[in-house]
Amino acid sequence: MPGEPAKRQKREQYKKSLTTDESKHASLPQKKFYRQRAHANPFSDHLLTYPISPEQMDWSTHYPAYTIRNDKEENVTGDSHDQVETRSANGMKKKVEIADIGCGFGGLLFALAPMFPETLILGIEIRTSVTEYVQEKVRALRTQNKDTGGFQNASCIRANSMKFLPNFFFKAQLGKIFLCFPDPHFKQRKHKARIVSYTLNSEYAYVLRPGGIVYTITDVEDLHNWMVEHFERHPSFERLGEEEQENEECVAVMRSETEEGKKVERNKGQKFVALFRRLDDPPWPSEH
Amino acid sequence: MVPYQCIQVCERSTNGSHEWILVGASGSKLVIQSSNGATRTWAGEDKYMNLKENETEEPPEKKVKLSSPNEYSPTFSCLAISNDKQYVVAVTAEDKCVRVFQINSDYHLHEISQRCMARRPCAIALTSDDSTILCADKFGDVYALPLISPAEDVHHESLADEPNEAATQKQFVPAASLLTVHSGRNRKVLEEQIKLASKGRMKTKEPLQFKHELLLGHVSMLTDVVYTTVSGRNYILTSDRDEHIRVSRGPPQAHIIECFCQGHEEFVSKLCLTTSGFLISGGGDPYLCVWDWLKGRLLEKICIRTAVITFLGEQPELASTLPHNTEGFKIAISGIWSTPRNYNEVNEVLVVCEGVPAFFYVRLESPAVVETVPLNGNALDIAFISASESICTAVVAVDHMHKPWFTTERRADEGRGRLQCFECRDGRWGQDRKLESELEWFSRRAPDTDGERRDAGPALLADDSVRARQKDEKAFRDVLYGVEKLRKRSGADEQD
Repeated sequence: MPGEPAKRQKREQYKKSLTTDESKHASLPQKKFYRQRAHANPFSDHLLTYPISPEQMDWSTHYPAYTIRNDKEENVTGDSHDQVETRSANGMKKKVEIADIGCGFGGLLFALAPMFPETLILGIEIRTSVTEYVQEKVRALRTQNKDTGGFQNASCIRANSMKFLPNFFFKAQLGKIFLCFPDPHFKQRKHKARIVSYTLNSEYAYVLRPGGIVYTITDVEDLHNWMVEHFERHPSFERLGEEEQENEECVAVMRSETEEGKKVERNKGQKFVALFRRLDDPPWPSEH
Repeated sequence: MVPYQCIQVCERSTNGSHEWILVGASGSKLVIQSSNGATRTWAGEDKYMNLKENETEEPPEKKVKLSSPNEYSPTFSCLAISNDKQYVVAVTAEDKCVRVFQINSDYHLHEISQRCMARRPCAIALTSDDSTILCADKFGDVYALPLISPAEDVHHESLADEPNEAATQKQFVPAASLLTVHSGRNRKVLEEQIKLASKGRMKTKEPLQFKHELLLGHVSMLTDVVYTTVSGRNYILTSDRDEHIRVSRGPPQAHIIECFCQGHEEFVSKLCLTTSGFLISGGGDPYLCVWDWLKGRLLEKICIRTAVITFLGEQPELASTLPHNTEGFKIAISGIWSTPRNYNEVNEVLVVCEGVPAFFYVRLESPAVVETVPLNGNALDIAFISASESICTAVVAVDHMHKPWFTTERRADEGRGRLQCFECRDGRWGQDRKLESELEWFSRRAPDTDGERRDAGPALLADDSVRARQKDEKAFRDVLYGVEKLRKRSGADEQD
């Protein structure tokens, strides 16, 4: 942001102090140093790093507590290139099974982590600074909870999920996907930029296992209707009924723990929730 | 006279005799030559007639454009021939139009439909039963259009992809209340919408007036689409600017993604199935990828860049253009074709790279063999004529307008032909002079009927026409050399 060198400088100083000053390892990052404008164009070529395929994703830095350590050392010597690749896929005891797409400052992520202590949860955020904030918070919370091993199952990556979801996740890898308070993109021209669309739902269906659930929440009724319509039209999904929805343990958390959710609460606005279940793929047309 | 940006061969047997028809798109014209010597040109002549017949179908602004004195003819960017060899499906770039032509018995092309899409089509394919055109567009979507437009098209209403469009047109309801929490920007958009709606000026795009069904979509520009059937199962393969190759089921289950073929590090521009069913893909990477695509498994990478560098280094006039360090040397694979037969049970393809005056003959043996066949100009497109059981002939469209290995500089010796023919005997490609002389008209003279608008000197033209001509030329160059442009430029927009 040109014209605000002081702001940038302050941010840099602050961020540097987090890494160099040991006493700050356990202190939570301050949001004010990580704010970033709310929109990102999902179509443009951001300088993103992403693996060519899920096999090549190195999760070990994200979930160090879940790596198979010894295995790694043994394999290093006299290894062929192919084996190195398979090792990074197999080098983890677990795979990510919950994705919070557009996780923002990670409110939901940090609420879910203790609820599913045995499940790897990943926040995905397209904005660099916001991603950094969540990563710093993960680090701080892990330091604070050293004794219990808490928050080892939560992490965050910067990625454009609308383009690169299949680069990170195998087919049917995920059990839950959260889409919380996504950018509503009011302009009709921008509707393809919405995080839910009929065509994009095919990719959610690809990474979700049958029975897996997509959770959506928004305070924009129009967007809610849009999401419902596009998921209901997609043959791979069915909407959960009211009762089933309210029995889902994540729904209350989703309403209360997201940053946007809290803002809406303060403004006394409405929140619209819809859940969709990934159905089994039907047999091929000629093979009924 | 401009080069042929696309060529296709239509081979068919009628009344027991075998014939071929070569169809080429040169700028905004279609040129035809048949094996029995018939020559035809389509330069939009029956366009006016058609328009009068279907006047109601055309949006008003279209008619205005066509009747203006500076009417431009859009450039063809894709050609496909129906499996039954009766139709040519073509795309014109500037007007984003999918056009279907019937090949009449006297080899005239009769345009039977024009369907202008909302987004520019980048690639087309036909389903094996010829019922449906698959149209892959710049916004990442694949639409299904019936090859033959049904009669009820004019009154077609419900659109698969824009279901709430009608509702928005009826009455605008603000998308959010003032209680809605979002950024200032969103709020501004919303206020603007409310203001416009109160003045009754809410603009909504006019829906397309013909049947089209959204099948699938990437969030990236699509570059190619292939339809194929394996053991009774239909598949759609799509490639995009973001390294992805997606394998989806065919309609009516095109919403199901079977797998991805992941291995490219740059854009993918072309997909090609070999005779025995391997998928070969290429684009901005130095190599081709060979896939067991049903499993999404990368079998092999075949380097093409080395062959390009060696070839350029051997050309006295081109060697100097090569950088000393070829480490970062980039190629853009712009075409891959499977030869019609597989000699000795070996899968083989011809490959061309954008702006490279050669084609590469790749045999998928172990290890793969890459041979280079030099051309008179940059390779643009290839089509095959299977002359006999043992011989296969490739007709290659070459750029006679630009210097070899250059995509903008005009060459001095434009007199060369626009086609070169090669036949393959026992794995060797040699020039086929006989066919070249048979195609003399097609290569050097067609089209006959020609407003030589593109070639006329600027001095002769009014300002408007000059501008129109420059616009034309740019559009044409984009069609000829648009592949390298798919490469991402680094550092475009980090902090926005």
